[in-house]
Amino acid sequence: MSVDHILTTCPYCGTGCNFFLQVANRRVVGVVPCKTDETSKGSLCIKGYNAHAFVNHPDRLTHPMVKKGGQLTETTWDEAIGKIVSELKRVASAYGTDSIMVLASAKCTNEENYLFQKLARMAIGTNNVDHCARLCHASTVAGLLQSFGSGAMTNTIPEFENADCVLVTGSNTLEAHPLIGARVLKAKEKGAKVVVVDPRDTPLSRVATMSLRQQSGTDVAWINGMINVIISEGLHDKEFVDSRTSGFDELREVVRGYPPEKVEEIAGIPKDDLVKAARIYASAEKAMIAYAMGITQHSNGTNLVRALANLAMITGNVGRESTGVNPLRGQCNVQGACDAGALPNLYPGYQSVEDDETHAKFEKAWGGKLPGKKGMTLTCAFNQALTGDVKAMLIFGENPMMSDPDTGHVEAAISKLEFLAVVDIFPTETAKLADVVLPAACYAEKDGTFTATDRAIRAVRKAADPPGDARPDWKIACDLGKKLGSEGFEFESPEQIMVEMAAVAPIYGGVDYARIEREMVRWPCPTKDHPGTKVLHTESFKIGKGVFAPVEHTPPAEETSEDFPFILTTGRNLFHFHTGTMTRRSVKLQREAPNPYVEVNPVDARALGISDDASVRVSSRRGSITLSARVTPWIRPGTIFIPFHYVEAAANRLTNNALDPIAQIPEFKVCAASVEKA
Amino acid sequence: MRLAFEEKGADYLLATRDEHGNVAPVLLKKGDEPGTLRVDVPYQMAMILTKVNKFVKEGKIAVVARRCDERAIAELVKRDLLDQSRLNLIGLACSAEQVKECRCTDPCPSVVDFGECAEPSGDDASVARLLDMSLSDRLGFWIAQFRKCNKCFGCTLNCPVCFCDECLLEDKTFTPEKGIPPGLAFHLIRAIHLADKCVECGECERSCPVDIPLLSLRKMVSQDMKELFDYVSGDSERRSPLLTTLEGDPMEDDANVC
Ligand code: SF4
Ligand code: SF4
Ligand code: SF4
Repeated sequence: MSVDHILTTCPYCGTGCNFFLQVANRRVVGVVPCKTDETSKGSLCIKGYNAHAFVNHPDRLTHPMVKKGGQLTETTWDEAIGKIVSELKRVASAYGTDSIMVLASAKCTNEENYLFQKLARMAIGTNNVDHCARLCHASTVAGLLQSFGSGAMTNTIPEFENADCVLVTGSNTLEAHPLIGARVLKAKEKGAKVVVVDPRDTPLSRVATMSLRQQSGTDVAWINGMINVIISEGLHDKEFVDSRTSGFDELREVVRGYPPEKVEEIAGIPKDDLVKAARIYASAEKAMIAYAMGITQHSNGTNLVRALANLAMITGNVGRESTGVNPLRGQCNVQGACDAGALPNLYPGYQSVEDDETHAKFEKAWGGKLPGKKGMTLTCAFNQALTGDVKAMLIFGENPMMSDPDTGHVEAAISKLEFLAVVDIFPTETAKLADVVLPAACYAEKDGTFTATDRAIRAVRKAADPPGDARPDWKIACDLGKKLGSEGFEFESPEQIMVEMAAVAPIYGGVDYARIEREMVRWPCPTKDHPGTKVLHTESFKIGKGVFAPVEHTPPAEETSEDFPFILTTGRNLFHFHTGTMTRRSVKLQREAPNPYVEVNPVDARALGISDDASVRVSSRRGSITLSARVTPWIRPGTIFIPFHYVEAAANRLTNNALDPIAQIPEFKVCAASVEKA
Repeated sequence: MRLAFEEKGADYLLATRDEHGNVAPVLLKKGDEPGTLRVDVPYQMAMILTKVNKFVKEGKIAVVARRCDERAIAELVKRDLLDQSRLNLIGLACSAEQVKECRCTDPCPSVVDFGECAEPSGDDASVARLLDMSLSDRLGFWIAQFRKCNKCFGCTLNCPVCFCDECLLEDKTFTPEKGIPPGLAFHLIRAIHLADKCVECGECERSCPVDIPLLSLRKMVSQDMKELFDYVSGDSERRSPLLTTLEGDPMEDDANVC
């Protein structure tokens, strides 16, 4: 008899809490928090405490399957891998390698994502590799790269505790990143001012110092409005602006167009509140901005991110402890998947695929020819599948049938593919449509690393064996690489993969497993003797001077109409995670929020004659779903909210596939909808 | 190590040690490599023991236990949830700093194998401050505190004497499942339900991500228990005075399970 406690990293949000998986006789049976972990300090949220619950679920995929006569049928690894290899080869020779799309996964490790992109680039010969960061923080990566030169959280999670002011916008922090939310509350307890700007009342906004509710899709207006107040009251940090930034005059010109009265008109935030909030933020010695999908998931998401960067720079709140612009990344390894190069335009470590020198460097490192042109984004790939330009997809651990906007469109796109292979731990909605399904090991069944939202590289450790024939994704990727006839997939362990990744991605240059065993390393960490970096941009920005972006308010892609009078916004609740594949199979989490619902303000509910728990039909121009109403003052009148976890009423049947022109992130946060009694 | 296996004759040792740059709970078997054992980070060992005990059904387990672990174990043994004859306690005295943090009035284990007993803490400033408040202020204080709760269930999951398989607090009759915060009932039911078991180990407060002063609440309930019934939980001899029939007679043994 043995009972072990294996230290590992939470598979849910990007906070990156570590905890012990309790393992009895090689079966994962429970979770015990880790007292000495710098991030979690012996606490967890309800998802973390239940992170063991889905591991032994009977629905786990245990055998490879191929479609025979329209039915997915169990088979051997050899046959399944052979089928993928022959189909990819066939599609590549018939339509070219760029007709193949690889989706990497923010739920897989850094090492695995490194292999996925290498598989696409080296073994298949296309830069068409992307993952769901496209759906969450693509605009962050693009926006902050332009403003600061680095697309990641500028500061770290523990620093929240010591801020004097935390401005939270578009983030339901206490539910989506509970332990970061907890740090914000700790700061408040110590006297910090917490300002929340969100169209919904969230558990955090209810205890905040100030809570402003803007109309969805009007964020540039209020941010510019705040900058306007700050400049006109002389509250900006002139020294910082002069010495560290460029483009101030253009910014000042643009924000002149956003006096508080006008902002009130556009965004519905009372002008006095806006002025007060601006003063609170600007007069704090150390002010942090935290934001999430409420900012990024807009058709002007990149501009929004840049507007926040403007706000931080104008007040000199960058480059010091407890300041900065802090995108909260939603998945355990969405930061790492980006770092590892699972992006169509960037190699590992954010190095452009279209830069000749970098291209040559990678050809040399990997020993083969690489495609020169940047690849296709995930959102674009589904459009192109519909037009017949993408013919095959290889999807690792993603569930676009639930996660992507406008499900009807995704479904149609997938049905036009000639070949679809899915690697996952559960039979997801997407896997059900595949020609080949491979069973993967989950986080508890493999070694590797995740990179948390604050760039901390955290170890994932194997606690149990995968069920049945399931295998870790890195082994599957190695197998595919070798069978596709490529060199450079002869890895025996994730550790060896990290050695290679560190060699080609300078920001990970000093990272190795021995160090991660001992210490918390945050990238950039270029050399073995480099301590890693907590605060980015301390002396200068990566691109020299920080760049102000004069951005203007533009209305959302879809506006309300007589037929669709409500603004629908989507998001998470505390108890579930994304497409629900894991959490809805965890008894305690499912119990907390078992059924899909739509939040409706009491004023609207009365007008529609709807009572709490009534069954309603919500429709948009793309589809409709039926679910129960949750009548609550927590949402502003005219706006409705649906969590996107529920397959039986999938919010993404309704959402709009309108894309941000730069980052190609879809507008999940605004679409026009109607509500009626069902 | 030697103490557990040779002197105390145990088959297993439940302790904490260095692992991956952190301190981890560990269940060692006789003959295992001990690594670097640590006694400075207070894990709630009674809680971990209960979990381990579900799987280790035979043999003696030696546990590194502080005074509060010892008292919690006494509560569990009384309820037949642990078998005293299969346990060996290795007494660990808390440091003065830890005693201060827990405002602990009973810090010294019955047998001290590690550390030196620190002075018990006298008064609890946080409790005193609360008792000084008017009732309505005190209610206001707790409402403001409980509003921060994000229902992680850490306070129940890590509590050594929260042992029900199906927790009442997970029943929607008492705590509606519609989001957070869970409401006052969640915290008050818990405080009352644990009135005759809570050993004031402070684990709930330490686990609470949003720093709700849960230990102060427990201490106030314990104080009432002492004043009303002259009962202190963790007493290995006496049964809870709350376990009575409706007529007021003490219950028979077989009804004493929970
Ligand atoms: S806060 Fe995030 S990382 Fe931490 S336990 Fe909860 S879901 Fe896991
Ligand atoms: S102090 Fe808290 S964790 Fe400890 S026994 Fe009492 S209620 Fe349980
Ligand atoms: S530990 Fe704190 S946040 Fe968690 S459920 Fe208990 S009171 Fe609430």
